[in-house]
Amino acid sequence: MFFELVSRNSKRSRKENGLFFASLLISIVAFYNILALSKQDIMIFLAKLESDAVNKLLAMIPLFYGMTLFILFFLVYFASKFQLERRKHEFGIYLMLGMRRSKLFFMLLAEDFRSSITALFMGLPIAILLSELISLVTARLAGLGIIGHQISISFQAILWTAVGFYLIKFIAFLILSGKIASQEIGSLLVETPEGTKKDLPSVAYALAFLAGVIFLAAAYGMAISGLAWDEAGKMGLTLILGFAGTLLLFFGLRSVMGFLAKRSGNGQKLQAFTFRQLQENVIHRSTTLAVSSLLILAALCCFSAGVAIAQFYSGLEQHVLDYTFSSDSQDIAVVKETLESHGLDSLFSELFEMRVGYIRSAKDTDNAFEMNSVLEYLARLPGSDDRDVLLNNLGYQTYPHVISLSGYNRLLSVAGKLTIELAEGEAAVYMDNEFVSPAKLEMLNQILALNPEVQIAGENYRLTGTVQSTDLVTDSSITLSFALIVPDADFERFTENDYDIYLNAVLNPEQVAGKSLLNAISETNEKLDAAGLLYESYLQNMGRQLFYIAAASYITIYLAVVFLIIANTIIGVQFLTWQQKTSRRYKTLVRLGASYETLCHSAGKQINWYFGIPAAVAAISSVFGVRALFSGLLSSRVKSNISAMMIISVAMVLLLCVVEYIYMAVVKKSSNRYILTLMVPEREE
Amino acid sequence: MNTILEIENLCKYYGKQENQTKALDGITFQVMKGEFLGIMGSSGSGKSTLLNCIATVIQPTGGKIIMCGKEVQSLKGAELADYRGKQIGYLFQNFELLDNLTGRENILLPLSLHNVPKSESNKRIMEIASYLEITDVLDKFPSQMSGGQKQRVAAARAVILNPSIILADEPTGALDSKNAKLLMKKLSGLNQEYNATILMVTHDCNAASYCKRILFIQDGVIFHELRRNIPEESQQAFYERILKVMAQLGGGTANVL
Repeated sequence: MFFELVSRNSKRSRKENGLFFASLLISIVAFYNILALSKQDIMIFLAKLESDAVNKLLAMIPLFYGMTLFILFFLVYFASKFQLERRKHEFGIYLMLGMRRSKLFFMLLAEDFRSSITALFMGLPIAILLSELISLVTARLAGLGIIGHQISISFQAILWTAVGFYLIKFIAFLILSGKIASQEIGSLLVETPEGTKKDLPSVAYALAFLAGVIFLAAAYGMAISGLAWDEAGKMGLTLILGFAGTLLLFFGLRSVMGFLAKRSGNGQKLQAFTFRQLQENVIHRSTTLAVSSLLILAALCCFSAGVAIAQFYSGLEQHVLDYTFSSDSQDIAVVKETLESHGLDSLFSELFEMRVGYIRSAKDTDNAFEMNSVLEYLARLPGSDDRDVLLNNLGYQTYPHVISLSGYNRLLSVAGKLTIELAEGEAAVYMDNEFVSPAKLEMLNQILALNPEVQIAGENYRLTGTVQSTDLVTDSSITLSFALIVPDADFERFTENDYDIYLNAVLNPEQVAGKSLLNAISETNEKLDAAGLLYESYLQNMGRQLFYIAAASYITIYLAVVFLIIANTIIGVQFLTWQQKTSRRYKTLVRLGASYETLCHSAGKQINWYFGIPAAVAAISSVFGVRALFSGLLSSRVKSNISAMMIISVAMVLLLCVVEYIYMAVVKKSSNRYILTLMVPEREE
Repeated sequence: MNTILEIENLCKYYGKQENQTKALDGITFQVMKGEFLGIMGSSGSGKSTLLNCIATVIQPTGGKIIMCGKEVQSLKGAELADYRGKQIGYLFQNFELLDNLTGRENILLPLSLHNVPKSESNKRIMEIASYLEITDVLDKFPSQMSGGQKQRVAAARAVILNPSIILADEPTGALDSKNAKLLMKKLSGLNQEYNATILMVTHDCNAASYCKRILFIQDGVIFHELRRNIPEESQQAFYERILKVMAQLGGGTANVL
């Protein structure tokens, strides 16, 4: 009998609170996916190349796992709380009928256990499937090929998913059942009126609303102007202002709701009822709503940051070179010899030297280069932040690298670009992409067109052409902020024949034919390793980039999904619980002649507002938040592209609309179903 | 006089054949326009079932309910909602005010449900409110009103749309004697001055003495009928007549062992 009751009750809870149950499933999926990250094809592949970085990321997984546990605990706690509160009367009856409190406790525990088992059995297969799918898709996108894919169920991840899930459910249960058990039977049986209205004067709410708006505006201002990033204290202040602003805004919102209810105009059926319901809901739950709104904001920021970072890293580099052998650790002549003797030179269609060195011929080597004329031209341009930054940066370039023209021209022809020609006494400027934004590039090119005169080691030179920025070697993390390209004879004179050589190579197209580039490089790597050569390959470089993309976007998007789910579930569950608590009002309306459609319309409107308010506040804040995030976190090159980045943020808001729409539709359906059960009025004696 | 409500051979049976309870077993009566009809009976006599059938809260097993010439059982959907809102005004024992709406908003609910322009009713609400002495509490929430005020606000809500009939279900059940008396005076005034038709279920003899006619129900059938002789008979005399019938209803002399 006891177990039958348990089984029936848990089945009923699952049906009545499908939204909550779905969220449990999603949290299981979230747990498993973060825990099984190390089993993803791309991570296994990257671990071979970038074991340090990958291991660092994997070492952080427990941290993310812990954080997810912590956040999901609140979701489970709130949702269980609503569910138990709804059943209070039922518990009172059990106790009245003579059930002991300990037995009630065990009954609830057993119910909880049962529903958790069901959730796990349904959630884990979904989680595993999704994880495999992500693994396949990312491997495919990265060009790894999916033939080598092995199904990799991580039993450790399953174990920890189950442990974590039970842990949070159990702790939430202990706290909640403790609260229920300590109540008198009488108070369990009587439906407690939802707190008598402790209304402050409406001026207080209006003031709170106003203060909220001011606080938020201040926070937005600090965030956008970049002031927040100056120091930790200011960042803290911005966050506190934003947080307090949101709380106050929601607290003050009841005055707006009251106004809307009073305004209840003609034509709209039940407008007063709709807004009074909303007002009451907002009054009792303004803090939860504010927190939900902040969670949605966090989700939006994470999404945008993740997508933007992924785009930034993947779209940045142009792939020209496949291999670079550096003279740092080996003699280039020996490298060439080894390649020939092992017959490996046939692997490459191009093999050329890139020579880079310092100006050593100057008497004062610290001030080997001087370009006052360029700085003067620059100073004359219309004032802007970009100009000031350039002025500042270029002012320090007194000891730049020099690059030999022949090597650089070879690189350009391999890249399919026009080579540059330098007459005697001419030099070209090289700056890596990372250091100049398009706007700055344009400024510099404008000045270079005037052929300004500069001094290199005391000799007069004229700068010519446009700013060059093709990557010199395979390793994209080796960059030059400012260098001069000079004819070979001048190069040797300036460097006094003391320079670094990078032997660049491009794979023979025949080698690549029929395979993915990554596979071709992997094979070549094995041959080079066998010959005992040290090299940097595009693969490693690509691996590093892939890693940044995968790590940054995976983690941020993961967090975003978790935040979004929690926020929406809390809002949805709260609304439905509230609706059930106020079911009597709906019944009265039915007796006064409200039709099913009218009630559904009113409830639908309440749902629109109830979801819409926190989502709208979050969407507005996100425009500022994302912008602040970009201006604080991304490198200077991307900053100039901020308008393009803002498009991403707008896209995120649209995505949010879709997600909210889906949630609203689900909640409306559930609410309509509930209203239908109220349509047959019963007379209570 | 026009007939507002006609009940013909109304039956309501609960349970299966062997174990059947006959809550209403063929009741027939009529309510005329401007009448103040009381239905009395002991617990379980079927008076609440009768009211619920008229209010379309429960479906009768047999018989007819005809309101203003239209059979109520055939109504569905929007028509049914219209019937509940416009044809009948319902006064509940426990008021059933929405506690998150102000008095005014509660009274205006039926208007908002049936798309009646607010401007038309503003005059009416003031008239009714001043008659029922609730002008002060119009902008208060139910939690800030006394029981009597709540029931009078509920009464205002029941009559705001000028329904054909007001169904009052033990309206004094949750009130103290002073407030009960005030409410009954107001209801009786609505009946006499505004010609409102009222059908009231009660087991309070005091409240019943305000009626013009009383039907006594026992075991699902009409057992007795009393008519107040207006103007000769005083309310006090009528009250005493009611008491006598009620004493018999309690089982009658036949049941005294």
